[in-house]
Amino acid sequence: MTVDAVYLLQLTLNGIALGLIYALIAVGLSLIFGVMEIINFAHGELLMLGAYAMTFALPVMGLLYWPSLAVAIITIMLVGLVIYEVLLTRLKPDEFERAILITLGLSIIIIHVMQYLFTATPRMVDTQYGFEGIEIGSIRLTFTRIIGAGAALAAFGGLYLVLRYTQFGRAMRAIAQNREAALMVGIRPRVVARNAVVLAAGLCGLAGAAISPIQLVTPYMGQFLIFKAFALVIIGGLGNIPGAIVAALGLGLIESWIGGFFEIVWQEGAVFVIMIAVLFLRPDGLFKRGGMRVG
Amino acid sequence: MKLAAALLAALAFAALPLLTSSNYIIGIGISALIFTVAAAALNLVYGFTGLLSFAQLGFWGIGGYVTALTVVTFGGNFWWGLVWAALINALVALAIGYPTLRTNRHAFVIVTLTFALLVTLIARDWVDLTRGPLGIPNLPRPSAFGYHFGTTPQFYWVTWAFSVAMLAFLYALCSSRIGRTLIAIKQNEPLVRAQGISPMPYKLSAFAISAAVTGAAGGVYAFHLGIIDPLFLDFYYMQTFLIIVIIGGAGSFWGVVAAGVALSALPEALRFSADFRMIIYGVILVVAMFVMPSGVAGWLRERELNRMREQLR
Repeated sequence: MTVDAVYLLQLTLNGIALGLIYALIAVGLSLIFGVMEIINFAHGELLMLGAYAMTFALPVMGLLYWPSLAVAIITIMLVGLVIYEVLLTRLKPDEFERAILITLGLSIIIIHVMQYLFTATPRMVDTQYGFEGIEIGSIRLTFTRIIGAGAALAAFGGLYLVLRYTQFGRAMRAIAQNREAALMVGIRPRVVARNAVVLAAGLCGLAGAAISPIQLVTPYMGQFLIFKAFALVIIGGLGNIPGAIVAALGLGLIESWIGGFFEIVWQEGAVFVIMIAVLFLRPDGLFKRGGMRVG
Repeated sequence: MKLAAALLAALAFAALPLLTSSNYIIGIGISALIFTVAAAALNLVYGFTGLLSFAQLGFWGIGGYVTALTVVTFGGNFWWGLVWAALINALVALAIGYPTLRTNRHAFVIVTLTFALLVTLIARDWVDLTRGPLGIPNLPRPSAFGYHFGTTPQFYWVTWAFSVAMLAFLYALCSSRIGRTLIAIKQNEPLVRAQGISPMPYKLSAFAISAAVTGAAGGVYAFHLGIIDPLFLDFYYMQTFLIIVIIGGAGSFWGVVAAGVALSALPEALRFSADFRMIIYGVILVVAMFVMPSGVAGWLRERELNRMREQLR
């Protein structure tokens, strides 16, 4: 089989775009795990809500992309805040299974309420950019994809700066590294946990809003993405943010390449095979966790 | 006392087809029995051993598909299908359990969940084997010793015998020394190690046995439905098993069995639409985790302990 260079480049670009979406979700999961030691099962539903928020905001905003994106992100941050204040704040430390079951229940409720209200019919949205794009040789990229990828990269950059240089981010890393010591120097774990959940929700809202013009919006869109994000968090090392980003980009590329040459069942199975292999070779993930490292 | 009550309940259940001729009610009876078995198997890993496993859904699906394929594609009979379902599931459980149980419980939960969703994707995408979304329709009802269990009441007896045998097996296991070791592992693993017991073989076998039982239960259920397609792996089933275990009381054998029978009948009796039923299940799950995290059985035990404390005062 001869490998067509243009085809390969197209697959690579698609893989990077896919990987960035995975990374946005996985980073949020890692952030929440690092600070609260829980896995948020409703994380995929935050993404779905972000996509719906974008779908409803765009017509109101006259199809303008950026204001709608901002509305979607802020909405999901508020949803994250409500989830934290109503449910997660009642959890005591070291209640991992209970946290999973609560967020699982929440995810069921969100999916089916959305389906009840807006039906399972897939929705499409149009933005001010429509299907315009740029062409490089015979490769065509739509603006919505480029902006989505750019926004994801900007979000990672921003997250890095926040975690590294602000008091807000330092407190998060401190809690992740050593809970007791952080308490002793006067960091309030509840405030930090709330910030982490809201921040992670914002990243998820961004991911949902960015993919809503690219793919169909349905109540179930979060479920398929979240299970890969869970696997990525394991592969990258639980609570390890750069690890999650690297693993996400790697998986996006691998899936895209496999999908281009093999049957779809291999594409879907790849993540699981990689995860089991990583657990065999390095039980703590590819990039072993040491507190919450950002660089 | 408990055993006598359980025996009476089992006999009462056996009499169901004599009391009603409605296939609808008998169908609910079949679901109740099968779901109870699957929930009791989940209770073995989650309630007793303390490992929250979402892989049960995958085992349930593999069991259904293996049994169906044994009969339809490979020309075997239903009973061998169940045996294969149990064996293959036990092997799969060992293969994913070994690397995963070496890590922490966080990783275990996530890997089992990913496994369950992977099985769904394979059922949908490996069209050559599973026939994809079309599924395998017209699964024939089984027969044994020249007797054909063709109608729903006749199939009910098969289900009843299967469920009673599986529950008896699980009860024997849970109330034995092995069951007590599993509880000890859940409560304090370092202490178990200090007693010179290696937890790994216990955890692995609990996971594998639970997988085998769940797989066989899935096989029986697929033949009750008469068709298997990727919807057989709907997350709804996993949620049902989980809610039964949590409401019944994780770690309490009879609590989970009672909740299995009650909760399988309840949604049918109340006749909700599918979406609405899922919303209610979600609300039940969230509320139960806050109000009584150890289920009805745990709540009753707590009350009795309090009463005894009062008396001692």
